[in-house]
Amino acid sequence: MTEPKASTEIPVLNKTRDELLEISKSLHLGLSSDEMLMIKSYFENEKRNPTDVEVQAIAQAWSEHCSYKSSKIHLKKYIFGIAKEKVVAQGDAGLVSLDDDTAIAFKMESHNHPSAIEPYGGAATGVGGILRDILSMGAQPIAVTDALYFGTKTVKGFPSPKFIEDGVIAGIRDYGNRVGIPTVSGGIVYSEHFSPNVLVNVGCVGTVNKKKVMSSAISEPGIILIIAGGKTGRDGIHGVNMASAVMGSGEDDITTVQLGSPITKEPLIHAVLEANEKGLLYALKDLGGGGLSSVVGEMLEAGGIGGRVDLEKVPLKEKSMRPWEIWISESQERMLLAVRKENVNSVTEIMDNWDITSSVIGESVEGKRLQIFYEGLEVLNLVTEFMTSPKLYDRPRSVAERRVVQWLPKYPTDFKKLLVSSLSDKNVRTKEFAVRQYDHTVRGSTVIGPFTGIVGREGPSDASVIRPDWNKSSGVAIAHGSNPFYSEVDPYLGGMAAIDETVRNLISAGAEPLGFSDCLNSGNPENPEIMGEFVSMTKGLHDSAFSLNIPFVSGNVSFYNETGNRRIPTFPTVLGVGKVEDISSSITPDFKGIGNALFLVGVPTTDLGGSLYYRHLKLEGGRVPYSDPRVLKRRGWNLLKAIKSGEVASIHDISDGGLATTVSEMTIGSKIGASLDVSPLGLRTDFALFSEPQSSWVVEVRKGKEKQFTDHLGDDSVVIGYTQESELIVRRGEERVLLIDLQSILRNWKRGYS
Amino acid sequence: MNRDVKVAILTMEGTNNEEEAYLSFKHSDSSPEIVHLKKLENGTKKLGSYDIIFFPGGFSAGDYVRAGAVMAARIRSRLMKDLEKFVETGKPVMGSCNGFQVLVELALIPNLTKEYELEAALAPNMSNRFEARTVYLRVNRGNCLFLRGFRDGEIIKLPIAHSEGRFTPRDGNVLRKIIKNGMNVLSYVDDKGRLSGYPWNPNGSEHNIAGICNREGNVLGIMPHPERVFYNVTESDWTRHEWRPGMGYPFFMNAVQFLREKF
Repeated sequence: MTEPKASTEIPVLNKTRDELLEISKSLHLGLSSDEMLMIKSYFENEKRNPTDVEVQAIAQAWSEHCSYKSSKIHLKKYIFGIAKEKVVAQGDAGLVSLDDDTAIAFKMESHNHPSAIEPYGGAATGVGGILRDILSMGAQPIAVTDALYFGTKTVKGFPSPKFIEDGVIAGIRDYGNRVGIPTVSGGIVYSEHFSPNVLVNVGCVGTVNKKKVMSSAISEPGIILIIAGGKTGRDGIHGVNMASAVMGSGEDDITTVQLGSPITKEPLIHAVLEANEKGLLYALKDLGGGGLSSVVGEMLEAGGIGGRVDLEKVPLKEKSMRPWEIWISESQERMLLAVRKENVNSVTEIMDNWDITSSVIGESVEGKRLQIFYEGLEVLNLVTEFMTSPKLYDRPRSVAERRVVQWLPKYPTDFKKLLVSSLSDKNVRTKEFAVRQYDHTVRGSTVIGPFTGIVGREGPSDASVIRPDWNKSSGVAIAHGSNPFYSEVDPYLGGMAAIDETVRNLISAGAEPLGFSDCLNSGNPENPEIMGEFVSMTKGLHDSAFSLNIPFVSGNVSFYNETGNRRIPTFPTVLGVGKVEDISSSITPDFKGIGNALFLVGVPTTDLGGSLYYRHLKLEGGRVPYSDPRVLKRRGWNLLKAIKSGEVASIHDISDGGLATTVSEMTIGSKIGASLDVSPLGLRTDFALFSEPQSSWVVEVRKGKEKQFTDHLGDDSVVIGYTQESELIVRRGEERVLLIDLQSILRNWKRGYS
Repeated sequence: MNRDVKVAILTMEGTNNEEEAYLSFKHSDSSPEIVHLKKLENGTKKLGSYDIIFFPGGFSAGDYVRAGAVMAARIRSRLMKDLEKFVETGKPVMGSCNGFQVLVELALIPNLTKEYELEAALAPNMSNRFEARTVYLRVNRGNCLFLRGFRDGEIIKLPIAHSEGRFTPRDGNVLRKIIKNGMNVLSYVDDKGRLSGYPWNPNGSEHNIAGICNREGNVLGIMPHPERVFYNVTESDWTRHEWRPGMGYPFFMNAVQFLREKF
């Protein structure tokens, strides 16, 4: 039997609330009965039933994924609007200013649900999607980043953690390497919280001439719509609806995952940028979640104009696709170009030159309505504003009673053992087995990559630096921050800590932080406790960023990361970009010379909640280290002055595993040891060495510059030792606390990689 | 006024290192042009009108079959005569990474018999993984025009990023001839300059071969990427040493200068 290809009518008039919910379920719309009633009332005014294309289009637009209906109220209050004067533009990605001519476009978003169902394809298309977001701003992508969160436990009905991990890494590798944009930054966190709900947060950074920044708004009639790139198929149908619900067993959702083709994307990037460079584009948007339906609706609504589209003109992978499938398919590698009539031929010619398929599918028209035709038959006729204005929810929330119990750990007997267990911890030790599978030098612009130091024994870097223009000395620094362990204990402080870490990392490269992108991961927002956590997290992000006066220019929200009774902590991954005025003054964490003074900038803490030290002792709860944004600003920006005037030889921030781990990591890429005395720090030795104070760094200061450095840092810095030829020795006054040779440090940090 | 040196950087879908190759030549006082194979096939562009040909890295046609095979097949079917003629004039031809794979598939190197028969292949890395790292290389420059200016025995550092880089000669005879003729111009070595195993030899290449030059010295294929370290500041350990030109710089300057001297 052949399916009828045209659209069918969906009877909603005269239906009860329950019947409407049943319709929503049977068509996989994911809409609530309230939302179905809104549709019913709209069509009562239209005096007809909707078509399948119409209800599917509305379901896409109103999905949590596309509409942010559960988070928008809170995002508006806490995230949007900070440091507005520093935002150059916002759209699919956000822009901040690098120099007079150039803007940095960047965004981080999640591809969690698809990666949980199909790790390889989900992760690959995550990279593909974020690249298109940057391209949509008219920007050349210069770097891809990814923050991955893998589970450690096998959950019945789901693939093993190892299978998921290998698949995700391979997906990022095969897509990123083929598309020719370096994967330079990111992180991997292991915790049982992420079984089976793996999180794949992918980021992309690009640069664009400020005069060539593209918008997605169409505000006049007669603008031609061209679809370019991959053909449209049945892959990725209902992806956004799947990402807006609690996951069942993965098998049922497999058709919702899209298929990626990096070697279509690579020329598509060239072709779109060439058309933009020549001034041939009016507006631009990528086809991601919700497919054509979301993109056309949003482009028209943004400019307050109507439009018409002829669906049969969309190039298809499979001829038998029905109109609603064409309209909502999330097939990859597609861009929608809005072009003035006189430029259509030039644009399609550029596409042809790059062997890119393109097709004119419609145009903007006077009015407020969008009309879709399939072989001359009208299959959709809606007011765009109705489609793009979903019901927003201020969902009920509760704040869990958290009694803070500060466990006092027993004073350790073997500090060397403690350091070794920290260095070789899965969350601290090298991630080279994954990261060295990613090409981080393609484009020849990577000034600081993920590993630095002596060739053959490189250690970790804090931030990456890219030189976007070979004719200029300026660089773009890229770094991340997130700590799901802190967030689990305290979502508010966890949010602040994510900003703190991002800023610390950027400062460590000698970069002034310019902007953030926030990728927010959470569970089911219909659970008041989770909604409470979500709001606490956004408040934490707000309080830090507001105080630093640094904007969030882009981001996304991923709810429903839960399965059965297993859910993830509510936490953000923050992607930050910074500006390096002169790349030759950017800096790395490996020690540079022998006999240089080592300063601690910061103060160890007694707050150990969520720290690696606590986790090793299997202690839960406690107080999470507090990030005071005023202190962060003072220390961070004073450090930038010190770096700029050439006082700093190397610098590394304090994070997982505390001061002892930080100093150890500085010996790896340098083969230079250190001698430390923790007595000036006052606290118990284990607190001094293994607590994770916020806004803190270890700094190696060049000989003869110590006075200048302390003038810049004031009371925020204290001498804790000096670099030496071999070994890391820690003393407390006369007492020797720890001695470890450099080879042991290297070997333990490299554990699991050969 | 220097003679204008025209460089063709050949691309098709999936090659993705053309940008850095373009800039390296641009900054070496020559006039590079990114040329899509299509333009040569349909006659809009002619290989003969260029002075230097560069095959950039990437994943030509996705490399879903043997690396470089599709691009080589496309060239062989329409452009081989022109390319052989170009090589025989003695003008510089270079390929890095996927470009090396294409040159070997085209049998332009090693080309011991001068009959353009396939004598080697670049097999998947022994580690079975994509490998992105900086490697130490020992220079054995012989008459290779791209390596003029390096000292024999000099140790240099270049980035690699590939999953199929294990140079595998057809048989022992081919390997012996390559070594006897000094065509193994770059070899992977450890931090002490010795031929060593993984990870110093990142792919398990036979005899640690990282690059091969033809006997005439004008066709060079290498796995590492000199075009990514044209400037010092993109070397992975640049914060540890004083400023100097990048390790990749001489490859491009040498080719351009050679061209100006001889043609």
